[in-house]
Amino acid sequence: MNKIPGNIISRQLQLFLLAVMVIVIFKVFYGSPDTFILKLFFDLLVGAAIYFLVLALIRFENSRSSTPLSLVLNVGILLAVMFFIIMFSDYLLSGIFENIHLKISDPGLVYNIVSVIYVLVFISIISFFLVILRHFFYMNQTRSTRIYFNTMLVFFVMASVSLNLLGEGETTFIITTFFVVSILLMIFNSIRNSWIAFLTKREKIYLLVLTFFITALFIVNISNSSGENIYTQLISDFSPSLKQFNHIIMIYGSIYFFILFFTTLFHLPTAEAYDRKAQEVTSLQYFSKLITEVLDFNELAETVTEIAQKLSGANASWIIWKNGAKLNSVAAKNIGFIESDKISGKILERITVEKLTSTKTFNLNEKYSDDDSENSFSMVSVSPIKTRGETQGVLVAAKPTGQIFSMDDLNAIETFSDYASVALENSRLLEESIEKERLEKELDVAREIQRKILPLKSPEIPNLQISSVFIPAFEVGGDYYDFFRISESKLGFVIADVSGKGISAAFIMAEVKGIFESLSKTIQAPKEILIKANEILWQTLDSKSFVSAAYGFFDFKEEKLTFARAGHCPLYLLRENGSREIKPSGLGLGLSDNINFNNSLEEYSIDLKGNDTIVLYTDGVTEAKNENLEDFGDKLFMNLLHSNKELTAEELSNKIIHEISVFSSGHEQYDDITLVIFKWQQKI
Amino acid sequence: MAEFSTSVKEMGDISIINLKGYLDAHTAPTLENNFTQLIGNNKFKIVVNFEDLAYISSAGLGVFMAYIENIRENNGDIKLANMSDKVFNIFDLLGFPLLYEIYKHEDEAIKKFSGS
Repeated sequence: MNKIPGNIISRQLQLFLLAVMVIVIFKVFYGSPDTFILKLFFDLLVGAAIYFLVLALIRFENSRSSTPLSLVLNVGILLAVMFFIIMFSDYLLSGIFENIHLKISDPGLVYNIVSVIYVLVFISIISFFLVILRHFFYMNQTRSTRIYFNTMLVFFVMASVSLNLLGEGETTFIITTFFVVSILLMIFNSIRNSWIAFLTKREKIYLLVLTFFITALFIVNISNSSGENIYTQLISDFSPSLKQFNHIIMIYGSIYFFILFFTTLFHLPTAEAYDRKAQEVTSLQYFSKLITEVLDFNELAETVTEIAQKLSGANASWIIWKNGAKLNSVAAKNIGFIESDKISGKILERITVEKLTSTKTFNLNEKYSDDDSENSFSMVSVSPIKTRGETQGVLVAAKPTGQIFSMDDLNAIETFSDYASVALENSRLLEESIEKERLEKELDVAREIQRKILPLKSPEIPNLQISSVFIPAFEVGGDYYDFFRISESKLGFVIADVSGKGISAAFIMAEVKGIFESLSKTIQAPKEILIKANEILWQTLDSKSFVSAAYGFFDFKEEKLTFARAGHCPLYLLRENGSREIKPSGLGLGLSDNINFNNSLEEYSIDLKGNDTIVLYTDGVTEAKNENLEDFGDKLFMNLLHSNKELTAEELSNKIIHEISVFSSGHEQYDDITLVIFKWQQKI
Repeated sequence: MAEFSTSVKEMGDISIINLKGYLDAHTAPTLENNFTQLIGNNKFKIVVNFEDLAYISSAGLGVFMAYIENIRENNGDIKLANMSDKVFNIFDLLGFPLLYEIYKHEDEAIKKFSGS
């Protein structure tokens, strides 16, 4: 409440207090007004006081957002207070004013002040009634709500002041008309009570009792306030219009609560059905929200069983979910997993998950319980949860022995299991796409690593053309090649293929690069370098990973190529009078310890002649596939190389890549493709 | 990519795994499961029949490397048989014939186990 801007409240209260002060002054100076003008002025004053008080109360009421039931209770309390004030004012005030009739004809200051305070209490009470009744009325807000209510208020005021201002006589029919119209408007405005439909059965019973007593109190207070007692004397002496207004509000209250009582009464028989429908609607709303919000399968399953349990009025609920070939109980609500598994077992004796297409109920005659008889579930309903058109799980709801599922229960749970299927399917699809996205991100990283590891461009050597092509596969294949300037007259090179794919292959690639970069600086012989590399990789790689590699170097002075092959694809030598595949023996790196590795590894040397062309490649080249899943193959590759050996290194590599892309245009590139071509240009 | 499946049959204490289809990084877990299960059941004498295998990638080769050590420590072995030329070439290139016994026919591998 302290959130309300103080100045607004105080402004309305200030105006109210101002009106009250003017009333007091008026009373002291003029006593009871007797001329028409004075009467009108005084009624205006009282009206203004009520008006400002009502405004302040509306603001207060809106700020505390109370429920209709608590407002009804407030009315009851105020009525009781009012009842006691009227009852006891006779005893209390007659002590102060020995003879009320004398006082009225000759009022003193004390009398005036006491009567103003007394009247203010009633003004406050009826203002509050008015605000609460207005609140109820505004709960069914339509376009004309305001007009109906304000029209009624206008007639209230007219009916109140007309008697005082016009007096009795020829104009009585006007007074009567205002009064009758007021009553009619009250009845008309009291009929719309649809808010009680949204109460639960328990709340309706509570409301029924309250409205009964409230209606009774209203009627008692009305009859009390029309008899001959201090209350009537004081208030009609103060202002006859106020008395009339008070009367009208009391009548309005009694009519409203009388109608409310009967409306509630008629709502009672359907209350339970309404409760269930309301629960269904809220559950389904809640659930359709879930479909779009909950992403996690387990979280969703928990919610599904929770709602299923509520919807079907069951005591326990869980899902039997097919996980591969196994069936597990998941998301058990109100039941232990051991017990639910036991009941699941009994259910699965009677149904086959895959064949369940609609909701069924069973009475498992036997009792299933840990120790106490309270949790012995024997009535169960089972509903299919389908994903991709197949029954993937069973939603189970269980009731204790002796209880049964009504048709309503079953309809609700059947509908609900359809919703659950959609939601669970959604969450599965989402998980898949998140996983896919994660993999793609990972592959982006892997490709980035690979791009940074590979040389930006081939070195430029006077009498050696070098061309290198690398085409990455979508899933990084782990291809690696590099060149090392060992000295002025020597150029080292390596080509390697890491086993596996993706980020793990990329990391091994990085390790391999580091190994060859450092080894090539200190060791010259390819065989030795590969032995060292194997020693390191045998220790660091996990047992299922390995690397195929070929390392060698050109000696421009000696015009010689020396290399060794560790499980890598052969090297091709293209030469005028005899192209050939060179495949010295050698195990892949990281496959075996050094004893095996050393024994198998051969080093090979070629004396370079004429325009010898040396071709290095990875298996992505020869295993490139066409739409029939046939390989590009060694033979085709060798033939292509041989028949195009006159081309420059650059042209030859373009030619090969072109042929591969034509061949494999009908099939996705599955592995990295690396092709490195050296062409020797002998000095003449 | 393409499909891959395995089937395991028992012949006394020797287990024979038949491979079918494409063995690569994506399908390797199927074969890994076979090996894990056999090892779990203390079946260490394993023959792998490659007759219906169309393709094997480096990740597929890795599966054999992953279990061989454990199996040999338990006096068992993985023997390979019925490879097509194409599949054999892939094994050969990496020097696998140095590490594994590779037989033309399954029976020879089984005989080798029984003999020893």
